[in-house]
Amino acid sequence: MASQLMPLELIDRCIGSRIQVIMKGDKEFSGILSGFDDFVNMVLEDVTEHDYDGTTTKLSKILLNGNNICMARHDVEAGCETIMD
Amino acid sequence: MSAAPQAPNGANDSRDPSGFLSEIIGAPVTVKLNSGVVYKGELQSVDGYMNIALEQTKEFVDGKLRRNYGDAFVRGNNVMYISADT
Amino acid sequence: MADAESPSESATNVNEPLDLVRLSLNETVFVKLRGDRELKGRLHAYDSHCNLVLGEVEETIYIFDDETEGADEPRTVTKNSEMLFVRGDSVVLISPQQ
Repeated sequence: MASQLMPLELIDRCIGSRIQVIMKGDKEFSGILSGFDDFVNMVLEDVTEHDYDGTTTKLSKILLNGNNICMARHDVEAGCETIMD
Repeated sequence: MSAAPQAPNGANDSRDPSGFLSEIIGAPVTVKLNSGVVYKGELQSVDGYMNIALEQTKEFVDGKLRRNYGDAFVRGNNVMYISADT
Repeated sequence: MADAESPSESATNVNEPLDLVRLSLNETVFVKLRGDRELKGRLHAYDSHCNLVLGEVEETIYIFDDETEGADEPRTVTKNSEMLFVRGDSVVLISPQQ
């Protein structure tokens, strides 16, 4: 039986790779995950902010409040391979 | 902040939230709120709630400059992100 | 959370964000609230939740309705109160007035 992967372990495995963060509400961020804490506040680098109206904003390094994060995953649009195999 | 799975080189390097914050104290930052309002100013301090104190603050609503504040305290629950200006 | 009135803190140093609010006690502050409301008044008291007690308050409410749609400025309503309690969770921003 495969050992269980805790949610924060999954995020830990994403450190150093580009992830896509989907917020509650119509907003997404794509960036390279540098670190995070217990609240899933995230430090992201080389960030693109995708707004609901289609506008995008580039940001070099941000601290994203974990409060409004809905989901996070490897950024498939960046052509990143999956780490789970 | 405690016991999060840390990067191998441990706590408080600039890659973790608290390390990043201490790195950008005193620097010009952009703070975006959940409402979409943006504040630009010099970061005086931040606490564990993400309450923020800014100096020389400019308030932007829909991308347009609305107001200037000498000092501004922003309550952390409204904050979406803090970005280091380049 | 650190005690806002900790005597060991120097009176002028801003070590944490709430120090900015502490330094505004008995001064006029501008407060931005959720729901397009703004207050201007003298800060009598506050706590770590940002619950506030303000005196001689002028409240401005911005109203975005059909009448003002497309106009440059929204309609505003102002109200005055002698004393006002503000619950912290509706506070967005506090700024000392010069």
